[in-house]
Amino acid sequence: MERDLVEYIAKSLVDDPASVSVAVVEGDKSTILELRVAAEDIGKVIGKHGRIAKAMRTILSASSGASDKRVVLEILD
Amino acid sequence: MVYEFEGRSEKEAIDAAAEELDLERDGFDVEILESQVGSIFKKGKVRIRVHTRDVAPSVARREVAGNPLPEDDFEAKVLEFTKRMIEGMGYTCEVAVLFREEKKLGIRIDSEHASIIIGKKGKNLDALQVLANVYSGRLGREDTRVILDSENYRIRREEALVRLAYETGEQVRRTRQSVLLEPMNPFERRIIHTTLNDIVDIETKSEGEGLYKQVRVTFRGKA
Repeated sequence: MERDLVEYIAKSLVDDPASVSVAVVEGDKSTILELRVAAEDIGKVIGKHGRIAKAMRTILSASSGASDKRVVLEILD
Repeated sequence: MVYEFEGRSEKEAIDAAAEELDLERDGFDVEILESQVGSIFKKGKVRIRVHTRDVAPSVARREVAGNPLPEDDFEAKVLEFTKRMIEGMGYTCEVAVLFREEKKLGIRIDSEHASIIIGKKGKNLDALQVLANVYSGRLGREDTRVILDSENYRIRREEALVRLAYETGEQVRRTRQSVLLEPMNPFERRIIHTTLNDIVDIETKSEGEGLYKQVRVTFRGKA
């Protein structure tokens, strides 16, 4: 599931994997994934010019579950 | 190989060169051609010429595949990460080492869902590759570039781009009209630049912002 995918990638890229959490907010037409990481790690999941966040969004939109419902990734601090 | 770049400052021009050529700053030499310092009212402009120490990217060399199984902990971890991302997307796949080169690790993805894993114009494969590279950097291997491929997409794309570059060059020479190619990632643009670099009466330059810029091919007359 998309939530686990985001969690797995984020945990692999940060210094503090224990602080990674992903909340799922189900809407009618879309699912919002709210990613939270430790404050020092936020750059590691966004990347320069949002490169990492963009890559995560791209593969989320290509994931098999995304065919039924739009998946939106939000990174919160 | 020689290329030219410009930016609003020396740093910006050098960053543009590094990104476009996919090299670290110490991988090329810079010669400043023109430098206008900006003020509040006027944007600065710096033009640089970049000399790269040539490492011709050869397709042929990659055919020396070697052992498909991981040979160290680093390779095993990057393979595992790649596989788990794709499985997390909901697709089954097998991953293997495709080639090993100095500072490069090629990974092959085999899946019945290859077309979606590659995506339109390689978009999904590029995104997976971005993440695999960030991950490899986290393992302390910032110097190693990870290249993901599936169904020989990268090699086929490389050949198609070389053909496109020659055809566009011919067209530009014939019509004397410049041509703006479709948006491409840095790796793809580099193939266009490199292919047309040796042709004296043709010039190439990237336009736009962000990861996907467009290459403009122009005629510059007899040298």
